[in-house]
Amino acid sequence: MYYPEQRYLMDSTTIRREQSLPQDAIGEVEVIEGSSVNLRDIVARGVIPSRYVFVEAARQLRLKPGESLSDFLQVAVGQSVSAEVLLAEKRGKQVRAPFDGILAAVEDGHLIMQVEPEQIVVEAGVDGTVVQLVSGRGAIIETYGGLAQGVWGNGRRTIGALKSEPADGLEMIEGGDLDIGTRGSIVVTKRPLYETGIDHAEYIGLGGIIAPAMDADLIPRALRSKLAIMLTEGFGPLTMSPLMWKLLDAANGRNALLEARQPDRWSAARPEVILNPVRSSNRAVRANPNTTLNVGSVVRLTRPPHAGEVARVTDLPKMPVLLENGLRVPCAQVEFPNGESRPVPLANIEVYGR
Amino acid sequence: MSERRDGSILAADIGNISTRVILIDLVDGRYRLLARGETRSTGGFPSGDVNLGIQRACEQITEATGRKLVAPDGRILTPERADRSGVDQFVVTTSTGQTLRTVIIGLVPELSIASAIRATAGTYVQVVEQISLADARSEEDELNAIIHSRPDLIFIVGGVEAGADSPVMRLARLARTACNLLKGGRVPLVLYAGNSDLVDDIHDIFQGVTTVLVAENVRPTLDEEHLENAARQLARAFDERQDQRGAGFKQVGDMSRVGILPTAQSYNLIAGYLGQALEEDVLLVDIGSAVSTLSASVGGHVATVIRPDIGLGHSASLLHELTGDAAVARWLPFVPAHNQIRHYALNKALRPSTTPESIKGLFLEHGLLRAGIRALMDTARPLWAGRADMPADEPLPAFKRIIAAGSALTRTGNPGFNALLLLDSIQPTGVTELEADSFGILAVMGALAQVNPTAAVQLLDGMNLDRLGTAFSLSGKPTPERPAMRVKIRLESGGEAISHEVPGGHLWIYPLATGQRATVEVSVRGRGLQIGNKGRVKVQVEGGSAGLIFDARGRALPVAAEVRHRASQLPLWISEVTGDTPILIDPLWLVEGGEEGHVDTTPPPPSRRRKKAEAAQAVADKAAKAAKPARRGRRGKAEAAETPAEIEMPTDDELSLDDLRG
Repeated sequence: MYYPEQRYLMDSTTIRREQSLPQDAIGEVEVIEGSSVNLRDIVARGVIPSRYVFVEAARQLRLKPGESLSDFLQVAVGQSVSAEVLLAEKRGKQVRAPFDGILAAVEDGHLIMQVEPEQIVVEAGVDGTVVQLVSGRGAIIETYGGLAQGVWGNGRRTIGALKSEPADGLEMIEGGDLDIGTRGSIVVTKRPLYETGIDHAEYIGLGGIIAPAMDADLIPRALRSKLAIMLTEGFGPLTMSPLMWKLLDAANGRNALLEARQPDRWSAARPEVILNPVRSSNRAVRANPNTTLNVGSVVRLTRPPHAGEVARVTDLPKMPVLLENGLRVPCAQVEFPNGESRPVPLANIEVYGR
Repeated sequence: MSERRDGSILAADIGNISTRVILIDLVDGRYRLLARGETRSTGGFPSGDVNLGIQRACEQITEATGRKLVAPDGRILTPERADRSGVDQFVVTTSTGQTLRTVIIGLVPELSIASAIRATAGTYVQVVEQISLADARSEEDELNAIIHSRPDLIFIVGGVEAGADSPVMRLARLARTACNLLKGGRVPLVLYAGNSDLVDDIHDIFQGVTTVLVAENVRPTLDEEHLENAARQLARAFDERQDQRGAGFKQVGDMSRVGILPTAQSYNLIAGYLGQALEEDVLLVDIGSAVSTLSASVGGHVATVIRPDIGLGHSASLLHELTGDAAVARWLPFVPAHNQIRHYALNKALRPSTTPESIKGLFLEHGLLRAGIRALMDTARPLWAGRADMPADEPLPAFKRIIAAGSALTRTGNPGFNALLLLDSIQPTGVTELEADSFGILAVMGALAQVNPTAAVQLLDGMNLDRLGTAFSLSGKPTPERPAMRVKIRLESGGEAISHEVPGGHLWIYPLATGQRATVEVSVRGRGLQIGNKGRVKVQVEGGSAGLIFDARGRALPVAAEVRHRASQLPLWISEVTGDTPILIDPLWLVEGGEEGHVDTTPPPPSRRRKKAEAAQAVADKAAKAAKPARRGRRGKAEAAETPAEIEMPTDDELSLDDLRG
């Protein structure tokens, strides 16, 4: 029994996603389990710790041994204060806030003030239902719709209508093609992305780009861009997997959330596009994480020379197979749409979620 | 820890790519490996539950042995039942997850803090901040440094036994303040391994703030160092943090009496054990997907290096950033295209479990592997130098045994190829036993040693590693194609002695099988050549899955500087150790870089200036365009859906989305 790698590509499925504060944030959850949320609803709110400053209050108030600084406080710990607000007082001696901030703690004769920290809010990101809370961090939200997962993103998120590129490429989209309603669209291109493509997309006001691949030199440019950019295959001269293109092209005009997450080796979250469900669509199919590889399975291949290609498994040999490069590894025999058949390492096979 | 004489033991190791489980039991009074299972790890997408991978691996063992190991609720059945279902003990190790971000607080950098750093060998610790009495920063700056380093653990050391207490307590109070300010977020654990007189005070000040673990003082006197207990508590802290990570780690840890222990601790332990037991220098190298570990026992001292930036999967891109193009390109028999090595590394990091399928892919993968091991060795050598009085630029210690772990080094499908990768990367000299941990046994040894040391020792001594064979490696610079090694092999089973001359620049394998023994005599031929600092060696050896490997290439390994020469040299070496036909290198690859993938036929995109002009023109034409129907609808869609010429789209009846919908 072999459980292959999965990368979801489904036109209608249930989707569960965790929306949580970043690891270094301190905060609280603002939704309750079972509640419905819209994509802009706030799930959690928090702060990123900023600099702490010691205020030598005990010395300034000339506290005597046995006297507690807490007894002379004029504001509560945790309270936001403006500069010059009275923090503590003892018989005419005063300690005032040195800046706008929060009285964070009283420790060993110090008042510890925190510079006004950066506020962070986490939005639901999808229309759905809160199915589980993540204590102090966020929530898991369930929704349904189409789902296509990529491999790399530039860390941005956008919501917009999907738009397939013209036959002559992303660069040929003209500003006039996008009316007010479609400005902010997410363009899908089946060709590798170039810098001119990003420049042009920014210029004409697109919201995002889904492309198969790009050159690694473009990473800094993509990270600087305000567009959400997702790659479906990787880096180098790779074209889009035909089934990926087929799904996204068929969704032309549908609203979508492009969550172009940057890969994080410590996280299971992936860059992905969630397509709004079509009213007439059939009931959503739940993805099966226990999918096994079988004869007849339709699979996507992930490594050159067949990266991105789609094939059908015709045999699962019990013994490792010798490849042209000299490695002898467990393989599946697959057949391509053109009838060609060859062994492919099991490790280089992905299935789509069911 | 007191030993229990349990019978059956199930040991699991959860890696970033694979989860491996082995079943150990008493057979004729000795612990033996009975069965093993291996499956893809399941902590990540889509299931997010590491327990699922353990269950799947257990299913394989159940199929092989008939012994039921998992209860209907997914828990490992313990203890063993009369019907032989279940096991008496379950232990688990992992190399997954983030390193333990650790702030070390101590009194003197050269004493207690240095000891604390040494205690972290064997656990996936990243020291993110150090604070000591020598710190020139203000207390306020120190506090901010602790908080902004986002620690998982604050490791407090310092103070010899019965020594001064106030400096340690001042620093501990600073740590307490930091923990207080982090409430509401992730509050770090505290590990105290300083002056034992202060243990109660430490507990008091952290009461209600965070969990405090206590270990023996790492530096009880200026001359003494006690690291073992602190190392165990660090492993416990790692376990506690794993529990908080989710992905089912808590449930799995709860099933083990000692929680989840770091895999790297096993290598540290085994290097120490083998170094002492064999009285030889021993090297263990594990190239993982995200983390790599190198443990060595040199002159009786053990040093372990853990590098979370060296790996052939999740960390491939970091590894490439670390080593650069040149360190990889020197192992390629072709001219790489611009960014080809970088693209390979990035794509491997995006799909870490994949395996090279093409010839170029193979050399890129193994180029990264060799560069990674070299970087690990460079990190480790100063530690050996310090311990064994060996200058860092001197040749390697004469390792008598090298053990490889991790699928990149053990799963080429050919033992000779596995051995070649070790010889290329480590470049040992003299006579070296080569072994591969194909079953992932070493990974669980640390945990096993904690619950049942006898089982750990018997398993190590029980031939459970894949014995690749014995390598005889020449030092010096042999003349290519001229005799460099004269070999005489007398089999223990009798028969005529086998004589062979190995020319310089070549490898030769004699297929002495596992279990067979022979007396091997090797003498060098040529000026400046040596084998193990001698001109001649005569040793009794045992065979292996690769056999006896005679490496007459010399040291440092003379990898050709010119790609044209590498194109014949590298495939030849592979062929000599595998017996396969040499891989053919396309002559075109030697003159121009060509990246694998689908050829992009898109014409060069227009310049930004031209596009801006076009866009401006488009705005000017907007009114005229508004009068026309927008270019959408069927024509636009048909154009967009056009498939690149080299890809034949599957028909709806074959590989369509309808097919996916079922």
